[in-house]
Amino acid sequence: MGKQRHITLSDEQTGMIDPLQRGHLRRILNLAAQLPDDWSGMMARTSLQEDFGAYRFQLAYMAYALALTHVHRLTAAPGYFRRPFQRLIDKMRSPDVWTYWHYVSTGNGPLNNAQGELPSEWNPIIKDNIMYSAYLQSMALLYHYLFNDDRYARKGALSLVFQPLFWGSEKRYEYDERSLNEHIYWSMVERGYLGIACEPNCVFQICNQVPILGFRLHDLVYGGDIAGEVTQGYLKAWSEFGVLNGNGHFNMMVMEEERVVVTPEAPWADFWLGSLMHAWNADFVKASFPRQIARWARPGPDGTRWIMPPDMMEANEDLASARDFGWAAVCASEVGDLDTRDRLLAYADAYLHSRWTDGGYHYARHDRLYDQDGLFRCMDPHTGNALLAYARLNVPDGLRMLYDGPWDQQHFAAPALDELPETWDVTAARFDARHNRLTVRLESNGDGHDATLHFTGIWGRGDWQLRLDGEMVASGSADGVEHAADGLTAFRMDQNLVLRMPARGPVDLVFQWP
Amino acid sequence: MAMKPDRIELDLVDQDGGAFTIGHLAGCRSLVYFGFLHCRGVCPRSLAKLADIMAGLGPARDGFRVLYITVDPERDTPEAMKTFLSARYPDFTGLTGPRPAIDRAKASMKAFARRAEDPDDPDGYAMPHTALIYLIDDQGRYLAHFPDTCDAATIVNRLTAATPPF
Repeated sequence: MGKQRHITLSDEQTGMIDPLQRGHLRRILNLAAQLPDDWSGMMARTSLQEDFGAYRFQLAYMAYALALTHVHRLTAAPGYFRRPFQRLIDKMRSPDVWTYWHYVSTGNGPLNNAQGELPSEWNPIIKDNIMYSAYLQSMALLYHYLFNDDRYARKGALSLVFQPLFWGSEKRYEYDERSLNEHIYWSMVERGYLGIACEPNCVFQICNQVPILGFRLHDLVYGGDIAGEVTQGYLKAWSEFGVLNGNGHFNMMVMEEERVVVTPEAPWADFWLGSLMHAWNADFVKASFPRQIARWARPGPDGTRWIMPPDMMEANEDLASARDFGWAAVCASEVGDLDTRDRLLAYADAYLHSRWTDGGYHYARHDRLYDQDGLFRCMDPHTGNALLAYARLNVPDGLRMLYDGPWDQQHFAAPALDELPETWDVTAARFDARHNRLTVRLESNGDGHDATLHFTGIWGRGDWQLRLDGEMVASGSADGVEHAADGLTAFRMDQNLVLRMPARGPVDLVFQWP
Repeated sequence: MAMKPDRIELDLVDQDGGAFTIGHLAGCRSLVYFGFLHCRGVCPRSLAKLADIMAGLGPARDGFRVLYITVDPERDTPEAMKTFLSARYPDFTGLTGPRPAIDRAKASMKAFARRAEDPDDPDGYAMPHTALIYLIDDQGRYLAHFPDTCDAATIVNRLTAATPPF
């Protein structure tokens, strides 16, 4: 303890994340930790949670970004992700997030006015609104899969409750991950697998990728092949309209009653769908992407690239957002076009209001599309908090590999960091089974408090040594701790190894077994 | 609420022209399939699979029957059902009836079918439909279902397992 810090492993060996990736994660963790219904930094331009950057989308894609980072980069740090993931799911259940449905369920808009005004509905799950229900479904099942924790399977664990103070009565809708999945599945069956509407009458391809991801996670957790059944049915149902239009762009939606396809051709429609469909239809998406990115991407200064928004947005700047840009970056990251992803991120870092807030890296809201020099400058909270973070944290084929189900019980038995102070960041966490070594790199955010760390999977593997910045500071047997250096406390507590150490700069912890 | 199906609604007519209701389910469980006689793709495959399932059940087959419910009652009259089934699947029960009764049966099992143009069909239309095989008990209550991706051997194994889906 107290010696000069020695880096014992290369960044490549540890799978370390870089400072910007760390910043994106910290931003997500900070937003997740905000008090209930404090949406600071997440509020978009559109009211009533109607647009494509609404809270539900921000929360879901922040959760997906955490999941991809955990699965592909920081595999041995469930404790870094578990609580923030729970908080994101808690926030999804807030009435602030889902009560828009009371109004949107009435329809009578441009794409459903043939049905006239429909009865208003409070329950955001019961009919249509896959743009909410599937995110809740997939987040809960993703949590179960990632953390081997069935808390959302318990009866009523995903209940949605709204308690008005001065009007009406309590609204309560009880769900859990299985009943929600079952409801969505049978809704999909009833519609011949074409998909479930978002707004009444509007069956979007994009939003029906999300329940497919949820079905797959259900299969991974509970067994079965719902995802295989639904994707087979989906392709058959969409063969009536085409997944792609004649120009190689994804058809956006079908008007359910009229059986009319709506295909406005927009960057966000191509790249949002591509990002998600790539999980189960990778070759098809990969084949479509080059033509789509060639159509929408524009060269920017210094080798950067940006995405030109569709004409509609230019005609009405009240609708301005950076979603085209954000989804292009996400899709490029998923299909493995890292050159495009990096050029887009470089543009964002230079021109789209990047900033650091409380250790978090994000892009601040900016409502104008272009500046006086004609540079695209727009930013919205969904893109600035979630999408560009997702793009930078993802790895090529990241969602596809998660869909394939990379983890089994062996993963959950392996050594891992299970608990750490919320103010600390993890920049590396990997168990190398070949070398029998757990490597964790931690960085505090300067609060000066001692850190208490809990590790799992330590016992029953034989004698071990713990090195801190290269110095041996603790050792033990298969059953307990035998030695700990001065200034450091280490002991066994049930199945955990508890380690207490003073706050300090970046630290490398390496557990080594024979 | 689109939770799993509860109980099938049956107020239909069999291929002999007789009424067929819940009361006719007594004595055994039923494998229920919605389709139509003019179907060129899914139904021939599914009906063959149902025949394979019944054969694969061996002696246990006495505990099951197959109900083939049309989603195209305008063309699939009792006579048409009888002609088709007696030639190919004489042990199957074909069910048809007035459109509202068919729609109630479909809705009760969350089955999907809709009329769509089909230039390759002599009448110019087909009835795209879901290809689920439902298992119901002798009271018409839903027990389980098997998707198109599930092969006959798997279904037989599930129906004859120590802990079958009922």
